[in-house]
Amino acid sequence: MTAANTKGKKILVVDDEQDVCAYLARLFQEHGYSVTCAFNGNEASQSLEKEKPDLITLDLSMPDKSGVRFYREIKSDPALSRIPVVFVTGVTGPGGNPKDTERFYRTRRQVPPPDGFIAKPIDQQEILGLVARLVGVP
Amino acid sequence: MEKRDAVPESRTPSPTEKKVNGLELACQRLFDEVPCYISIQDSELRVIEANLKVVEDFGDPNFARCYTLYKGRTEPCPECPVARTFQDGLEHTSEEKIFDRRGLPHDVIVNTRPLRNHTGAIAAVMELFTDITLQKHLERRLHDSLDRFHNLFDVVPCYVSVQDRDFRILEANRQFNESFGGRLGRHCYEIYKKRPNRCPVCPVAQTFEDGRTHSTEEVLIDNNGKQVHVVVHTAPIRDSQGNIAAVMEVSDDITEVRALQDELASLGGLVGGIAHSIKNILEGLRGGIYIANLGFRDNNQQDIRTGWEMVERNVRRLSPMILDMLYCAKERSPRRLPVSLPAVTREVLELYSPRCQQSSIKIEAEVAQDVGMILGEQKDIHALLSNLIGNALDACLSDQDEEKAYCVKVKVFQEAHRAVIQVEDNGAGMDEETRSKLFTRLYSTKGTFGTGLGLLVSHKVATEHGGTISVQSTPGAGSTFTVRFPLATQEERKPS
Repeated sequence: MTAANTKGKKILVVDDEQDVCAYLARLFQEHGYSVTCAFNGNEASQSLEKEKPDLITLDLSMPDKSGVRFYREIKSDPALSRIPVVFVTGVTGPGGNPKDTERFYRTRRQVPPPDGFIAKPIDQQEILGLVARLVGVP
Repeated sequence: MEKRDAVPESRTPSPTEKKVNGLELACQRLFDEVPCYISIQDSELRVIEANLKVVEDFGDPNFARCYTLYKGRTEPCPECPVARTFQDGLEHTSEEKIFDRRGLPHDVIVNTRPLRNHTGAIAAVMELFTDITLQKHLERRLHDSLDRFHNLFDVVPCYVSVQDRDFRILEANRQFNESFGGRLGRHCYEIYKKRPNRCPVCPVAQTFEDGRTHSTEEVLIDNNGKQVHVVVHTAPIRDSQGNIAAVMEVSDDITEVRALQDELASLGGLVGGIAHSIKNILEGLRGGIYIANLGFRDNNQQDIRTGWEMVERNVRRLSPMILDMLYCAKERSPRRLPVSLPAVTREVLELYSPRCQQSSIKIEAEVAQDVGMILGEQKDIHALLSNLIGNALDACLSDQDEEKAYCVKVKVFQEAHRAVIQVEDNGAGMDEETRSKLFTRLYSTKGTFGTGLGLLVSHKVATEHGGTISVQSTPGAGSTFTVRFPLATQEERKPS
């Protein structure tokens, strides 16, 4: 994966932690993506109206539950439902592995499974690899 | 005992005499061998005749008085059935304790009967004793067992009740009576649960059905309306035919265990919350280091500054969290120094004003200057007020209603003998469920922002300073937290 391959690919980073947003934005930018940040679900929805990204990273456990609302909204909108979504969160399932955590989110938050799952603390190679695969970068 | 029926040997008895003699012999044998004590007393209460069993157990009467022979007394017994029969010619019965020649006691039932001479006058009284020592012994043991059973039933530290097939309480122990009132005959579901009809899952009914013991966990409501968490065990009580006549219900109070479990669960929640917050702080630190490193690599001052600011910000976030954790971990009593609530309030407001300006939330202060001193630890009051104002700002920030002009009002005033701080916001507000859990251990609605420590610390500070903390809230309209502290007396205000 090179920055040249990712050029023009857009990522929407949604996280209520401004520093996490800043970190992910800078990490993705460093690898050639263009990034928009949103600090809650409402901001994320507004951002989608302006521009459709190639991928969304989303912290589902934001205080106002707007992350869950936002996720349900895009999954039920045919125009948006195909955008891959990666959950990035510090709250993990009982076993801590991605499968457990995915099940945990599906049952606890009553949401469809995401396209990918990254647990905090974020492993840079893991998230870059996952994002590249999901946006179709060779 | 002398032989009384010697027949003269000089002549051959007639057949009638033979018959009479035979009958007398049979009577004598019966008199001697009957398995009870029989004696005959004259009007002086002398024993003029007694059967073999009396002689064996009490010795030869030899015309002794019956009260001496049977009871070792020197005076007649106050209630003497023999004397009464002499008096009224009727049969009498009484229960007595007599002592044999070895001094062993015998419980007996005494029957007396008059013996009349040919003129019909009472010549003597026959006294017949039936030995009921064994029965008496069994009766006493039964009585003791019943006493012991009742004591056990009463002192056992559980609620014990016995129900019939209609779920009516037939019997109950002392602890039951103390908590649920001695209302026998009422339905168990009315008494234990204050329900108008029977419970859908009933261990008593199950035991009536299958004759086995059953256990469930239930929440009862005692006579003061207090919830009692119990583990219930039921067991069948069978009649002599083996049919289930009733069911015993034993309920063990586990309210305190439940409370501990809840506390442990919220402690688990706290640890989870703290771990989550630390993960976010760690992520901020890693992000800061990453961006600063990019800046060093590219010699980009902007990146270095941004990265370093992120590191600083996240290190700053750690310290209050750790202080809160330490505060909650310790049982302590604060020093009792005079503290001015208006002064502390001004300090905290100053601290928060940049954040308010940044997020365009208006902050209003109404601080009365004549509020008396309270006694305590200044930095604790500072922490409490910081938590409350910080929470109020968070409540406004999380509301996201574009129509609203967000405002936090802080009031400090005096009310009777109390100094009062009130922090009011028009933010998100809380529903009843959230409000009820607020000051119990560790509860957070703030996801990544909150560990649940803040209000716990506030509650601890308020109570450790002899004060109270309360909240009023309406979802969508906002919340008001009120803390009341006792004022220091004139004496206490003087510096020592």
